[in-house]
Amino acid sequence: MSTASPDSRFLRQIPLFGKEGQKKLKDARVLLAGAGGLGSAIALYLASAGVGFIRIADEDVVERSNLNRQILYHETDIGACKVEAAKKTIHSLNSGIEVEAVCRHIDEKSAGDIVRGMDLIIDGMDNFAARYVLNRAGLDEKIPFIHGAVNGFYGQVTTLIPGITPCLRCLVPTTPTWEKKVIIGVTCGVIGSIEANEAVKYLTGTGKLLQNRLLLWDGLLGEAESIEIASSPDCTDCGFSEREPDGRRIVS
Amino acid sequence: MKITIKAFAMFREVMDIQLELEVPAGGTVRTLLSDLTARYAGLDALMFAAPDTLRDFVNILKNGRNIHFIAGLDTPLDEGDLIALFPPAAGG
Repeated sequence: MSTASPDSRFLRQIPLFGKEGQKKLKDARVLLAGAGGLGSAIALYLASAGVGFIRIADEDVVERSNLNRQILYHETDIGACKVEAAKKTIHSLNSGIEVEAVCRHIDEKSAGDIVRGMDLIIDGMDNFAARYVLNRAGLDEKIPFIHGAVNGFYGQVTTLIPGITPCLRCLVPTTPTWEKKVIIGVTCGVIGSIEANEAVKYLTGTGKLLQNRLLLWDGLLGEAESIEIASSPDCTDCGFSEREPDGRRIVS
Repeated sequence: MKITIKAFAMFREVMDIQLELEVPAGGTVRTLLSDLTARYAGLDALMFAAPDTLRDFVNILKNGRNIHFIAGLDTPLDEGDLIALFPPAAGG
């Protein structure tokens, strides 16, 4: 058993971005919106990487039908509040980080409180209504928003940065509805891991973000492809036409 | 003029993943979809809720920009365009 300095758990990753990068992770405050399948993978990887403060927002309780994909939870958690159960699991993995459990519905009323003080918003949500709310809140507060979503064997990820990239509304203007909700856990693992990877890169300033690019995962084929995406000048949410010449959004 | 079409997610279950097409000058997304639905059985039912009405999950990007904010189905096609048929996943 190791009784070395607290940093020993990060020995294999510090060479990737230095002690400075590790400190950036420790000092980071991220909002994880949604504690379901995506949220599970994201939370575990952010906690294991040493992200110092994770606020998890979700209002659901754990159901048996969640257990095919929501790897934060165990059979003994059925019926428990997700964010509280999530906090327990995360702390059993890394007790050195702070986890704030927010058992609230994400809507226009709660969004301001939920995003306040955060450096980054990470999408683990299961519907576009909540995503549009946080897209808007992220634009207002100039907080980057890592978008990810899953459906069956398919999923997508992109990193949305106010003033630099399209916003979620530019990309998907209206709520897509699917008659059947189908999902296999591994798709959440793939997409959630890519989102967590974006978060680590963003927070440590490492690598090239999926900004102005949309990554589409096809698990049936076993292939991911990314395509370039662009802001829509007439977007109703980010109003790209209402920006300063340097790209910054004009906030009235 | 030549354009490239890329299909993602379940569109791949009824059509080629990628194809290059020669389209006449003056073509629009509407004429392109008419061509594609004639070419691939099952695409029309997957894409359209009613004639001229795309299902709400059908997002079409022209060079990365959603046609919703250009001119919808009347969005003109240009030489070298990349048209992506993108049905966004919504779950989490």
